[in-house]
Amino acid sequence: MKGLIDLPRASIGVSRWRRFRATIDWPLTITVALITAIGLLNLYSATQGTPHASKFNSQVGWVVVGVVGFAIATIVDYRAMLRVAWIGLGVVVVLLVVVQLLGRSALANGSTRWIKLGAFRLQPTELAKLAVIMVLARLLTPTDPGAYRWSNLAVPGVLLLVPVGLVAVQPDLGSAILLVLVILSVGYLAMPDIWPMVHVTLGGMLAIPVVWETMHDYQKQRVFAFLDPAADPTGSGLQILQSIFAVGSGKLVGKGFMQGTQTHFKYLPEHWTDFPFSVWAEEWGFIGSIVLVILYAFLLLWILNVALRSRDRAGAIICVGVAAMTFWHVVVNIMMVLGLAPVVGVTLPFISYGGSSLVTFFVAMGLVASVSLRKHGY
Amino acid sequence: MMLSRGSASAGPALPELTRRLRAAIFVIAGALLLLVGRLWQLQVMRGDSYYQRTVSNVVKERFLPSIRGRIVDRKGVSLADNRPAFNLYVTPATYPVVAPELRRLLALTDEDADKIQDRVNAGAKHSAKSPVLALEDIGHDKAIVIQQAVQHLPGIEIKEEAYRYYPQGDLAAHVIGYMTQMTADELEHSAGQGYDTSELVGRYGIEAMFENYLRGKKGKERFAVDAQGRRIDDAMAAELIQGDRVTDPVAGFDVMLTIDSRLQKVAEKALAPYAAGAVAVIDVKTGRILALVSKPSFDPNTMTGHVTKAELDLLNRDPRKPFIDKSLRATYPPGSTFKFVTTFAALEDGQASEDEKITCKGYYQPTNQDCDAEHGTLDLLGAIQKSCNVYFWNLAQRIGLDRLSDVAQEYGLGRPTGLGLNGDAAGRVPTRAWYEKRPGGKYMFGYAINAATGQGDVEVTVLQMAMAYTAIANGGTLYFPQIVERVLDGDGKTVIDYQPRVAAIMKTPPEIVDVWKRGLYKVVNELGGTANPYATSSVVTIAGKTGTAEVKSKTRRERIEERTMEGWHPTNAHAWFAGFAPYEDPEIAIVVFVEHGGSGGKVAGPIAKQIVEAYFTKIKESK
Repeated sequence: MKGLIDLPRASIGVSRWRRFRATIDWPLTITVALITAIGLLNLYSATQGTPHASKFNSQVGWVVVGVVGFAIATIVDYRAMLRVAWIGLGVVVVLLVVVQLLGRSALANGSTRWIKLGAFRLQPTELAKLAVIMVLARLLTPTDPGAYRWSNLAVPGVLLLVPVGLVAVQPDLGSAILLVLVILSVGYLAMPDIWPMVHVTLGGMLAIPVVWETMHDYQKQRVFAFLDPAADPTGSGLQILQSIFAVGSGKLVGKGFMQGTQTHFKYLPEHWTDFPFSVWAEEWGFIGSIVLVILYAFLLLWILNVALRSRDRAGAIICVGVAAMTFWHVVVNIMMVLGLAPVVGVTLPFISYGGSSLVTFFVAMGLVASVSLRKHGY
Repeated sequence: MMLSRGSASAGPALPELTRRLRAAIFVIAGALLLLVGRLWQLQVMRGDSYYQRTVSNVVKERFLPSIRGRIVDRKGVSLADNRPAFNLYVTPATYPVVAPELRRLLALTDEDADKIQDRVNAGAKHSAKSPVLALEDIGHDKAIVIQQAVQHLPGIEIKEEAYRYYPQGDLAAHVIGYMTQMTADELEHSAGQGYDTSELVGRYGIEAMFENYLRGKKGKERFAVDAQGRRIDDAMAAELIQGDRVTDPVAGFDVMLTIDSRLQKVAEKALAPYAAGAVAVIDVKTGRILALVSKPSFDPNTMTGHVTKAELDLLNRDPRKPFIDKSLRATYPPGSTFKFVTTFAALEDGQASEDEKITCKGYYQPTNQDCDAEHGTLDLLGAIQKSCNVYFWNLAQRIGLDRLSDVAQEYGLGRPTGLGLNGDAAGRVPTRAWYEKRPGGKYMFGYAINAATGQGDVEVTVLQMAMAYTAIANGGTLYFPQIVERVLDGDGKTVIDYQPRVAAIMKTPPEIVDVWKRGLYKVVNELGGTANPYATSSVVTIAGKTGTAEVKSKTRRERIEERTMEGWHPTNAHAWFAGFAPYEDPEIAIVVFVEHGGSGGKVAGPIAKQIVEAYFTKIKESK
């Protein structure tokens, strides 16, 4: 059998150690570990010696949680999870509604995205991405073309849009757009016939003016600021400009670890959540930026490789979904940082500070590892 | 094409992906290459400029004010100095609204509080993180109150800054001058010379003329700030700043005047009873100005940066025009003090002699003009002593206008003295050609007659007359007037030492000058002289000539307007006294001018006497 990349297979009769080694998808694990390490290093540099220094410790804690999540997602059979995919989506919708109701009572920062669970704050938006991927895997499992009639897909399609709508009204435009992009990407890569997707896409584009009308002022402001950052150099535009300055000032080899002046002198607001890439680019320069981009590129290709070698259709679709989610997060976030996209609050996988995003991506990679582990049919 | 199958027996698990893999990889590669391209553009192509940009984000520059030089009199008495002022600064970003606490601490009125709020709001628009000057010169007591409460008032600070201060008040105000803020035009002109928008510059007098010496050189401080505008002093900041953190300011030079402030005080006091006038006292051996008064005056402390619109309007509406320096900018008919010109011209040409007697019947036939009195038969000295116009009109008839003009110009009349202060005027010495050039102009005999007694179209400045009488007193050396003796550095070391400068040596033979001098002696010291006994002194022998210059009548409207000023009638004659002392060996020349003061002898004479006596009794000895 051939995939994008082939590794030696495990075979019966070898030692336990070698069998254990063979159950682990090493390229996936190592890539994720490297990117996570870069994320921690970067967060350390960005927060050390500031009042945000405790963020590093809490992020290390979240990495531990993430690794556990990764292991559980790997061990539990994804096919079992698929059976409860719709229930999972239902739970997410309930959580989103709860967030919405909580938000009515205590408005903070113009949007509400959190549920407080003791010391934790759960962001159901991130869970929604996983649930949507699982539902997509289940929806697109049949190989019979007859299953892909409009009459069959209309109801599940509308149901999928419910979490998207709930996320959008939070309002979290970035995540809503991201969900749509994931759904479209999976559709394009897994639907037997591509034309329904084309129709949906064109219809969606026609809906953009409607979406614009319902957008909040601060969201419109961010779009304007993106289109012309210099026009409003005090608000959103300033964030984009300072981010561009930070990235550009890194030049070829960067200012060095913990030497980023934009970070050090606080010219990059909220740099640990949405703008960690500018911190990285400032301190490690073009070389460091390229290294990170290459790591992401390898990760994406490897996930697709796992998809190609999956033993069943659903597993492959899960991998496609995770690849799409990772791809759009990376591209939208870095484009935002480089002034190529408006600031929409999309995290950078494994690097942005924040437990919800980190754990979600670890679990997502666990699903891929699970597919990878079961490719030969245990 | 990389093929993939789920297992050996079945086809691929997701054949759609296999079919569309190429497109998927194409999209991924395209998107990531876009990012790499953008990174190349930002970091490699434009990296240097963005790097500079991040440095300028952090490293800010601030001017360190230089201490302006002082202006001192010839004895070192301070005429313009600096005092500490306490200014209230507010940073709009941290203190956007004037709270009741601040109002209470400063005991602010509603109006003041509003004014501060306006300034803070204006500053917030411009640059919210830099402090704006909210209230100037709040005084030591309030500064302490604020300083003690400053922990509860984030964004509020008190800065001690040097303010220009004129310890002698309005003494010699026209000489010292004042400072005001720069206009937008001037700012543009002086771009790069280190002026700030709020900065004061010398606007009048020595403050303006010696601006470049007084100003000094501003220092510069480079420091690092974070995005909140807080100063950061750490290793990274130091590395970014590169080079010197502080360039020390260089204090301005002190300017030492030739003025003696005590004599100046005496002169101003002597002139005090009159509404308007001017005095010049000159050291005849050097041409240095010992006192230079122009009245009405102004207080430079008020003018310098603090003058209100109302105060300025009041000064501008004053018909006596306080801002025109009456000692060297305004020009007046000199009256009989001008007769030295007529005397010298006639004697040099041999058109007159000391012994020639002319009879004055109280009027002059050819032009039908009246003399002040019926003087009877007089010789030249008698005519000088009694200021008989008829005698000089007769001389003028013989020598003509252009000859008068020649001598007047030789003695420095009709052109600026070259002092360079406050726009010293040229005045006017009319010639035949000048009259003919006027529109519809035609020379008439009467012009020479008028000029002979310093009337008609002759106009001079007080300082010009003082320099001419200096030349008469010292035996024929016409000096350029000098008001700055030296420029000193902060340690009192002389940087520039200005020497007396001779403008010209007069051609008038000494025996002719002596005739005039003897006449002037009689004016003051012999019975019947026009300044006797008004300027007669028992302390020192004063010699001088009085002048009572008629003024062209004004329009009725002007008269009504100007008559509101008490003791100052615009139709009154100007009172002059020009002379020197001691008669035997002259040391100082003095010109006293009282605008619309009336009789030269009665009004200007006593003033001159007071000043000269004070000089020889109090001031000269302490030299």
